[in-house]
Amino acid sequence: MTRLLALFCAALASYAQQPTPRGQKEFTQSCGFCHGDDATGSRGPDLVRSPLVNKDVGGDLIAPVIRNGRPDQGMPALPLPDATIQDIVAFLHMRVGEAAKSSHVGGDYPLERLLTGNADAGRAYFNGAGKCASCHSPAGDLAGIATKYAPLFLEERILAPRARSNATVTVTTSSGEQIAGKLDHLDEFSVSLRDAGGWYHSWPRDKVKVSVQDPLQVHRDMLTKYTDADIHNLFAYLETLK
Amino acid sequence: MKSNHVAHALLRAVSRLVSTPRRGASIAVLCASIAQSQGLDPAALLHPPTDTWPTYNGDYTGRRYSPLKQIDSSNVKSLTLAWAFQANSQAIKSTPLEVNGILYFTVPEQVWAIDARTGRQVWHYHYKKSDGDHIGHRGVAMWGNWLYFETPDAHLICLDAKNGHSRWDIVLADVQLGYFATMAPLVVGNHIIAGVSGDATDIPGFLESVDPETGQQQWRWYTEPKPGEPGSETWPQNGDAITHGGGMTWMTGTYDPALHLLYWGTGNPNPVLAGDARPGDNLYTCSIVALNPDTGKLAWSFQPSPHDTHDWDAVETPVLFDADFGGKPRKLLAQASRNGFFFVLDRTNGEHLLTAPFIETNWTSGIDPRGRPIALKEKEPHADGRLVYPGSDGATNWMSPSFDPTLGLFYVVARRVYSIFYYTATGKPEGWAGRDHDIYEESTLRAIDYRTGEIRWNHELGPNESVAGILTTAGNLLFTGDAQGNLLVLDPATGKTLWHVNAGGPMFSSPMTYELDGRQYVVEGVQGVLYAWSLTE
Repeated sequence: MTRLLALFCAALASYAQQPTPRGQKEFTQSCGFCHGDDATGSRGPDLVRSPLVNKDVGGDLIAPVIRNGRPDQGMPALPLPDATIQDIVAFLHMRVGEAAKSSHVGGDYPLERLLTGNADAGRAYFNGAGKCASCHSPAGDLAGIATKYAPLFLEERILAPRARSNATVTVTTSSGEQIAGKLDHLDEFSVSLRDAGGWYHSWPRDKVKVSVQDPLQVHRDMLTKYTDADIHNLFAYLETLK
Repeated sequence: MKSNHVAHALLRAVSRLVSTPRRGASIAVLCASIAQSQGLDPAALLHPPTDTWPTYNGDYTGRRYSPLKQIDSSNVKSLTLAWAFQANSQAIKSTPLEVNGILYFTVPEQVWAIDARTGRQVWHYHYKKSDGDHIGHRGVAMWGNWLYFETPDAHLICLDAKNGHSRWDIVLADVQLGYFATMAPLVVGNHIIAGVSGDATDIPGFLESVDPETGQQQWRWYTEPKPGEPGSETWPQNGDAITHGGGMTWMTGTYDPALHLLYWGTGNPNPVLAGDARPGDNLYTCSIVALNPDTGKLAWSFQPSPHDTHDWDAVETPVLFDADFGGKPRKLLAQASRNGFFFVLDRTNGEHLLTAPFIETNWTSGIDPRGRPIALKEKEPHADGRLVYPGSDGATNWMSPSFDPTLGLFYVVARRVYSIFYYTATGKPEGWAGRDHDIYEESTLRAIDYRTGEIRWNHELGPNESVAGILTTAGNLLFTGDAQGNLLVLDPATGKTLWHVNAGGPMFSSPMTYELDGRQYVVEGVQGVLYAWSLTE
């Protein structure tokens, strides 16, 4: 719990250290009362969705509205210096850009947003119902796992390790010969592998028997079994493996 | 120029006659004149085509079932390449039209006319380097001597089918606000019906009808009702949610000439993943709507995904067929929807008849009394990520389904897409307000009994998301592709593979067929190449 609090405070601190975006102060002072401090609307309209703001180029549409107001809609003229208006314009374009990028979910996704689970429950699941311990060990292959991956990618790799497939295959020919190797390709019509010497072989599916051993299959089978709580608890537990 | 004027006059006359069928003899005379001009008489679309493919779905029903049967289950083993056309382009997602021996197909910004017998280029049109999303393009529509083409920056262009020269260019929607366009318009009488795309920003969806000659707007139907109109009660009563609610019209609809109703699917509401910003069902997003093609007035609606929070557009083809249901002959409409459920409606009035899952899903607690899946609140996107199947790419998507009326089976490419949905907004959500990341995908082709929703057979297509569409024919064949780059011909009664070839890449398109000089061709797009298959001569 202490650790969680510390993480949370660290995240807040890093957030507080972000430089104030250009024009935010000016927008808040002059416009925020009606349009909201983040420009998403209050008494006045949401400017992030405003067609005029979206079509503006370098202030050509926004600046005249600030200078002249819209008296018919209750917006007063604001006699601000040109430089201040340009700062406000920059702020509005930044807010439109943020909305357009709201689908960005990447390696910079904040840890604290993902940490809703309980690490103890995650450990219990790891060793119990999840059967993770039958292949993995916190002191072995998972040692330091939380330092290897950004939090978002750790959560996703629990569900689907995207490492290169390590599936192997054994092919039995019509004469009874067996060839085993690393699975290269498998579809309805053909199978191919790399043998121990690195050589490539392929066969039509209907001429051979194919037996695939894929250690990741158990991860795919789990996808219909996890609850969201299992996932978040497991994630909280693996995040402790620094 | 002069002959064009004659053709215009003829077509104007035809479009007047379409609504007065007692003058059938005059129509026949006019058709003969138009045939010489190599154009497409819109009245011809009222009769299901047999040897051509004059609209995006081949005919108004959207069944993608061709009566052609030269290629059949007994000879399909000798299917061979008739020709290939290399477009040197991004993936071809369009379905070509075939009219009078010419194929017309597209990618974003580009249209080709090629010889349907030989695959040789007749002309190529390149619009210009344009703004807007270039995610894909579905094709053109044809009316008389003219083609209608939507551009990534949401213009509608009228092209001369003879040479690809632009006749006019109108703006359907403002690309600067976030609109773009990918779809193939639909011709109904003297209406060119065009939809639009775009959900990265919070803008209203609409469907528009324009005059084929002038490009002038005839009507526009907005996905969201105006405040106070029926349906507006499904949105917050205060604020601007309803006027920024999304619901794009980005796939070609279908049409019933006897009922004179247009059927169209609509896309997701906006902000895309942010349900709390728009409590209510959010009509008419993620809906199937029936519209009067002359006025754009809504006749009825049905909503496969009420209050969608997973980008499950209900734009998949609303397929029309007449068949028994519950012991009575009915005029039916069926959709395999992106949310993983199959729906059957009575298309005269929208009466709900059947809802059944066509793939495993984990987002519902059941079906409501109106036949709509009930969404689980805990499977809405959340900051910590929620595992949902299907993901936003959908249990199916824009690739075409097919209905074989002789077997009574509805075919759909179904995907198991496991995905985590993250919600990113901290203040008022705008745009997507989050995203999902796929964890694992695999695909299968399913034959659904339309009367019960029962899966009659299942043909696994392997890992990855297949986006290959389906064509069935009277030759007892089903054409599609798998997710590993194989083109497939299956037995539509059993799902057994009858023919296959590794085409060198995945099929991102829906197959079509036509007959010329007594020879049947099946055309399939694989990445930037069109392949035409036929029997050895």
